[in-house]
Parts: sequence; C-alpha cells; structure tokens
Amino acid sequence: MATASMAKKTVRINGCVASAQAAKYSDVDVITAYPIRPYTATMMALAQMVANGELDAEYIVADSEHSQLSIAHGAASSGARVFTGSSGVGVHYAYELYSPISGSRMPVQMMIADRTLDPPGDFGSEHTDALATRDMGWLMGWSCDAQEAFDNHLIAYRIGEDPRVLLPQMVCQDGFFVSHITTDVALPDSGQVKEFLPPYKHPYPLDPRHPVSHGPQIMPEQGPPLQLERARAMEGAMTVIEEAHEEFARVFGRRYDPWIEEFMTDGADVVFFMQGGHAVTARHAIRHMRERGAKVGLVRLRTIRPYPTDRVMASLSRFKVVGVVETNMGLGSVSSGGSLYAEACAALYESDKRPLVLSFMAGMGGEAIVLKEFYWMTNKLLEAQKRGKIEKRTHWVGFEE
Amino acid sequence: MAVIEIERQMLPMLGSPNQGARFYNPDLPQTEPFVPGHRTCAGCGPSIQYRMTSKASGDNTILVGPTGCMYVANSSYLCTPYNVPWAHTQIGSAGSFTAGVAAAYEAMIRKGKWKGAFPNIICEAGDGSASDIGLASISGALYRDHDCLIICYDNEQYANTGIQASSRTPYGGMTTFSPPGPMVPEAKKLFPKDLARMMAAGHPHCYVATATVGYPIDLMNKVRKGLNHKGAAFLMIYTPCQKGFVYETPRSIDLGRLVVECGLYPIWEWNHEAREYDYSFRPQHMRPVSEYLKLQGRFGHLHAEHIAKLQKFANEQWRMMGVEVPEALVRATNPETIADMASAEAAAAVAHTV
Repeated sequence: MATASMAKKTVRINGCVASAQAAKYSDVDVITAYPIRPYTATMMALAQMVANGELDAEYIVADSEHSQLSIAHGAASSGARVFTGSSGVGVHYAYELYSPISGSRMPVQMMIADRTLDPPGDFGSEHTDALATRDMGWLMGWSCDAQEAFDNHLIAYRIGEDPRVLLPQMVCQDGFFVSHITTDVALPDSGQVKEFLPPYKHPYPLDPRHPVSHGPQIMPEQGPPLQLERARAMEGAMTVIEEAHEEFARVFGRRYDPWIEEFMTDGADVVFFMQGGHAVTARHAIRHMRERGAKVGLVRLRTIRPYPTDRVMASLSRFKVVGVVETNMGLGSVSSGGSLYAEACAALYESDKRPLVLSFMAGMGGEAIVLKEFYWMTNKLLEAQKRGKIEKRTHWVGFEE
Repeated sequence: MAVIEIERQMLPMLGSPNQGARFYNPDLPQTEPFVPGHRTCAGCGPSIQYRMTSKASGDNTILVGPTGCMYVANSSYLCTPYNVPWAHTQIGSAGSFTAGVAAAYEAMIRKGKWKGAFPNIICEAGDGSASDIGLASISGALYRDHDCLIICYDNEQYANTGIQASSRTPYGGMTTFSPPGPMVPEAKKLFPKDLARMMAAGHPHCYVATATVGYPIDLMNKVRKGLNHKGAAFLMIYTPCQKGFVYETPRSIDLGRLVVECGLYPIWEWNHEAREYDYSFRPQHMRPVSEYLKLQGRFGHLHAEHIAKLQKFANEQWRMMGVEVPEALVRATNPETIADMASAEAAAAVAHTV
C-alpha cells in the first residue's frame, strides 16, 4: 500500500490537502467525513486517495457532524487510528461528543479549518468555532501555513496516542488563509514517519478477548478522581509535547518551539500576541515597521491546550505593551472582545512585570487583516506605551480613527 | 499484498416452536454475557431482553449502550453486568458509534492489525434513542450497511428519566409528558411512529424484524439471523416496563404475548432478498385490546371511545398482516359495547390506583 514506501519530495499543495497527506502518512484506519466548507477539501482529497488505493482505510460519509464524531469515538474505542474534521457550525453540531471522547481517553484526531459561525453565515475564518471547545479536554493548537499543518498532524497523533496522554487532538488552521492557500510542502519519506509515529495501541480497546466496560455511570463522589485524572493527563501532556517536538526535529529536521513562536522580539517594546495564519501577514508588517524604527515583534501561540501559562508569562513580561489579535468572538467576555485576551492576562497576573494589554478585534467574519491594519494596531500599542496606560481594553479594528 | 480473508461467524438457529417458551430448551447457550447483579427494576422487560440477546450472540460480542435504562440502571456506580466489552455512547449516537466499532474491525482485520473472527457488534438502543434523537444515526448505519445489529428495546417511553412520552408511546398511554386531564382525556393523542417499518422501507437491503420478550426463542433466533446477515440489521423488541406501564411485576412475559395476541405489536420479518414482509408468525390466540390494556395502570384513564379507537388500530394491523379479523373484534370497535377502563370489572387493581 501507499504507506509502505513513499519517497521524500516537495509538492505544492494547500492546507487542506496537506492535512489529507498527513492522514495518509499516518496510515489512518477509519476516516469519517461530512461536508462543510472549507475543511471539505481535506475529505475530498482523502476520498480520492482511498479510491485510488493509495490509502487503505474505511472512509465513512456520516449523516452529520454529531455522527462523524460518534463514529470516530466508536472506532478509536475499538483500537483504530481515526481521522475526522470539520469547520464552523459543523464543529458545534458535534459539540456533545468532545467531552465523552476526551473523558474516555480516546485519541481521535480532528482537523479544523476555521469558519465563522452563523451569523453572519459567510465562509470566512474566525477561530470561535474551535476555541469554543477549548476546555473539553482536547489538545489544541493552530498552524500558520500548510507545512506546519502537515507537521502538526503527525506530532499531534504522537502526543495524543502516547499512553501517558491518551487525549484527542484538534489540529486547527485558518479557513482559506491556510486551508486554501497553496504553498510548497515538504513531504517526508514514509520510513521517517514510521520512525516518528509508532502504531496506535490503546491499552483498553473494545476487544472480546479482554472484556472492558467504557463509560459506566458513577456516583458523585466517584467524579472528582475521574476528572482529576483527565486534568492530570492534560498537564502531563506538557512533557510529552516537548519530547515529541524534539523527536520531530531529530527525524524530520524541522524544529518548532511547541508553545510559542517569537518573531523579531529582540529589543521589542510592544508585541502582537496571536494564533494562526494572520501571523504570516503580521511578520511582513513587523519587518516594515521595524524598518521605520518601531520596536514591535510577534509572539505567536502554537499550542493553546494545554495552555503554556509559564511560557506565556515569561515571554510577554519582557515587553511594555501586548496587543492581542483575537480573530474570535467572546461576546460579553472580560474584555468584551475576544477570548484570547483573558488567556493572556491570566498568564500575566503572577508576573512581577506586567505589560499593558490591549485586545484587537480584527479579522472578524473571516476578513483578511491587511498590512495597513497591523500598522494601525502598532500605533495603538506605541501610543499606549508612551502614555503608560491603555485608552481602552478593546479596539474594533476598522471602526476607529 | 496478501488479502486477509475476514472470518465471519454463523450462529445456528435454536430448534423450538416459536410458541413454546416455558419449558427447558437444551439448545439454549450456557453463556451469560449479561450477568446478574445489575440495578434494573424487578420484571424489567429490557433487561430480560438483554439477557436473551446476549445469550444468543455469545461471547465474541461487543455491546454498545446509548444513554437509556440499559445504560443507567445497568452500569451504575462504575459496576457493569457485561461479561463482554461494552461502551456507553450518547443517546443520539446509537447508530454512529456502532458504525465506528464495525468500521474499525473491518479496517483492523483487513490491515492485519487485529486477528480473529469478526465480532458480533450489537447496539442496544431504547426507543427514545432509536425513534427520536438517534434515528438519523441508526438510519445512517443501516444505509451504509455496517456489519452490526441495532436493537431497539422498545418500552414505549423514556423510562430512565422518569416516564416521558417518546414517539413510540402508544395512543392513550399516560406518561409524565402526556398526562390525562379534562382537556386531554385520552392522555397521548398520537399513534406511535412505525419505526421498524420505516427501517425496512428505507433500508431494504437490511435484515429487519420485530419481536417481543413473550417469545424468547423467536427473539433469540432473530438476533442470530441479524448477526449472521452480512451487513446491517435492525430488530425492534417489545420490552414492557413495570415502572411506566404500571402492572404486576410477574406479568412481563404475559404482556409480551398479549400485546401480540391483541394485534398491537405485529411480529414480522423483512425478507431482504425477496423484498417483502414475512407475516407468517401467528400467536396462539386473538384477543380484544382491552385484555391487554386492563392490566396496565397507564391505560387506567381510558374511556370506551378511546379503547374502541385502539381496537380499530389493532384491526388494521391484523388486516395489514393478511389476517381476517373475527366478528367479535370488529364489534369491539363500537364504543357502546365497551366499558370505560375505570369502571371495567375485569381491570386489574393497578388500573384503579393511578
């Protein structure tokens, strides 16, 4: 079969196809699909791979996202490696399953290509779909380009299936900005993947030779230890995440900091704090601003669950002002803007040197955040630095002078 | 690459007339995948069914339990009565989770990742799960023809949550969501969703059948036929609920027969090869519906006109099966020949207590 021998090569593909390729390289056993843009393109690519005989897997067209995740749950519970995915309202239609899957400790992998929720019902990317599920016990992080998406899928399987972790993973990418932008992606040699990703082996699958019961009801006093175990799995994942990234660098030669990417933060006074594909634009904007003398940098969060509190604190405490670029809705939240603001501020609370923090509502409805807007936001950060205090917590970019 | 042949089990039929059930049958398997010690109510129809079903399927079985009585009462406090692998799933995930298990075994056996005969994969969904919230998921599993058996243990209500109406609750059935009152004297106004026929009509390639706990050998043979069928199978089994139907506990099996004898639960098999219903199952007697209704407190409020309406419904079911309706049952559709349940002399004591 395909996964038996594939030589190293570079191909020009988009984020969706990169995810499909990663599933193929991971030799998944069961794929569950349901169409919704933009992630559909991943499932289209996988359907073709199965049809061509490039990948030996059960390809199931489910009757809804709820069924998609339930099928994934059942298949992972039986010992199969499972790949699924969704976008936007589809992510939410399946919401009921997120806690049962992580609670039964099944390392299902889900690809997310973000899409704005309804309303406004457009196809654009907002992180709200996946972010709304962030506390359900899934490992979660955003990729900013197709190569990183491919790599993150492999890394996530390795982390999630590790017997010390056994947790599901959401491998997220921005709809369209990553999912539908074609770039060069280096595909590995299949031997490298074999070396990096051991076969999936759940310790207690549904196997008639070793009967087990999954998910019986409990008494209230039996709840705390179970919940504590799941919390510890999430905390314990932090070491495994670091090991996996180290091992990935050794095998594939690409090194990622598992938690945050810092870009031009040396000597920076103000930084953007953000996730996902808009960071690519931010890097360009920062280069331009630096040329004009503004001491601005970027701290990109790569993993939001488990949340690297200490790393975020250590990083952001070095600057005077932090501008959180949200790309998500947190209606009526702490900042009355997005939900990332609270994550940044909470990490900074115990710091001796707290920067000022502003929240920018940008990229809403899936609109691109253009260079001009990054310049505008940088000015807001520099003004706050000069003033020594913030004008207000949340700015809706494009609605103010 | 060598093709791995998937070994599938063929379970033998139990040789016994479908009518006889109250004698020792030496063919009955000794195995008890559903062991005693669970917390279901005395006389619980669904758990009687569960024992019969799992005996018929044997030890190479995986059970899927969507939320319902057979999840909550069976698996309380981290103890479960299953001697075979069992997994809880969400109430709306009956068909989908089961499909996942079946798909996993197809892939793992084919890819050499798991060795052994293909297991019997059985989903035990209540009627709330099967006819309401999980209907689409079951339809999906049947449509895609996963090799599994989906059972609806039909106690005609959401029982575990405290007796609420489902779309399987019969006309006239009292539940906490369909109580009788001056404005609604008959309680439940709607006739039940014909779930099994929906499944047969919509997924004609599947093995579909109905059964009741009143006829255990028939039930177990249908379980085996469903499992032997390569592909998806659906079985709807009448399982009385003492708590919701309000009857004398030892009468569960009697009700399982009376419901058939009164024409309220047609027993049939869908012949997927001939694409036609097999109505050859015949109960020993035919009785008026009042014989069935009077044993249950949930019908204690019915007036003569409501009973007549149910008799009319039963007669239509008989005709659907090609059975000639005796004169006495035709007469029983006339309300003037029937007594209100509350004043019916023959009504069991329980009918007066509600």
